[in-house]
Amino acid sequence: MRFLIDIAIAILIATTIGFFTAWYAVEYGGQYGAVAVGEWTSWPGAGSPNADPYAVALLARTGEVPLGAGEGTAFSAEKDDSGSPLTGRCAYLIAGQTPAARLWTLTGYDANGRLMANAARRSSFHSREIVRRPDGGIEIAVSTIPSPGNWLPIARVDRFKLVFRFYDTPLTAGGGGGDIVMPKITRSGCQ
Amino acid sequence: MRRTLLFALGGLLLAGIIHIAVVFMVPLFADRDAWAQMRQFGRDGRFHPLPVPEPGAEPLLSLDPRMIYSVCRFSLGQGPVRIRASLPNDFWSVAIFDRRGRNVYSLNDRSAERSRLDLAVVTPVQIAQLRQDPPPSLETAIVIELPIDVGFALLRVFVADDSLMASAVGSLATADCSGSL
Repeated sequence: MRFLIDIAIAILIATTIGFFTAWYAVEYGGQYGAVAVGEWTSWPGAGSPNADPYAVALLARTGEVPLGAGEGTAFSAEKDDSGSPLTGRCAYLIAGQTPAARLWTLTGYDANGRLMANAARRSSFHSREIVRRPDGGIEIAVSTIPSPGNWLPIARVDRFKLVFRFYDTPLTAGGGGGDIVMPKITRSGCQ
Repeated sequence: MRRTLLFALGGLLLAGIIHIAVVFMVPLFADRDAWAQMRQFGRDGRFHPLPVPEPGAEPLLSLDPRMIYSVCRFSLGQGPVRIRASLPNDFWSVAIFDRRGRNVYSLNDRSAERSRLDLAVVTPVQIAQLRQDPPPSLETAIVIELPIDVGFALLRVFVADDSLMASAVGSLATADCSGSL
């Protein structure tokens, strides 16, 4: 009887911890090799043939198609520079310099990775349609209510995320996130 | 008590093995992965333009709405695959993925150094045969050797503004991934 109880304990520990940690690592653990620059995160490994098993499992679960190293790289942000989650109840300002790239796009998605419908019929900006500051930096307002200048409308959602995609960029040639400069996301007000 | 602890330790070891096994098996049981979702666009062996990503009607998750896309699922079992397209002079890129959605090759217009895309996807075994008797049509192609048997190619073309949409769609329609070299 003792023996059976011991076996049961071992099996219980093995299955609960094994399955839970696997599920957690795939779903929330983030992939290894993430490059974080301020509030922006990129997973350059996801778009390479040596993607780690966690990245492959995550891709299989979501059905996402990552950018290949020869195409570009994507940085996503779910928090502002103070660490609070991005929410449709607040307005944000994205300002600063962007890394060198032939082309970039900035897109807003809801928490499930879907585009958000809005009256302005705009869900993204690209590098050639934007009005720049005299120093070449960018300034984009992200909010539900219209704003002067470059305005990226979002829907009144609880959580959203921003994805910066850099195409044909030296960023993919390797190297860490040390010298990459990304614009800051600051909250400019809430309702 | 000591024996129970020992069993608990064994359970932990087993948990590690289960963890690794589960992570490796997730892709095998995923029915919504990129490969499976591309089935909806049409039959294998040819390019299918994806609808323009719009709110509420995205063909795939997390696509860039400033690009238009075309996908082709292909198999190298019947021989090499040739991927050809005449594309605009602006940014475009092509990425090749294996069955599990791992990116195995990618190229953009600047590294291709021309607006014509011409790739020959070949397995290591096929390339050995091609070396013995190289077909003349291969001279213009970029030959890439990939150790995969099936995969898909995703072609993306940048559309700077709506006035360029028609020509971008037209150039995407020239994409072909037929098997003939």
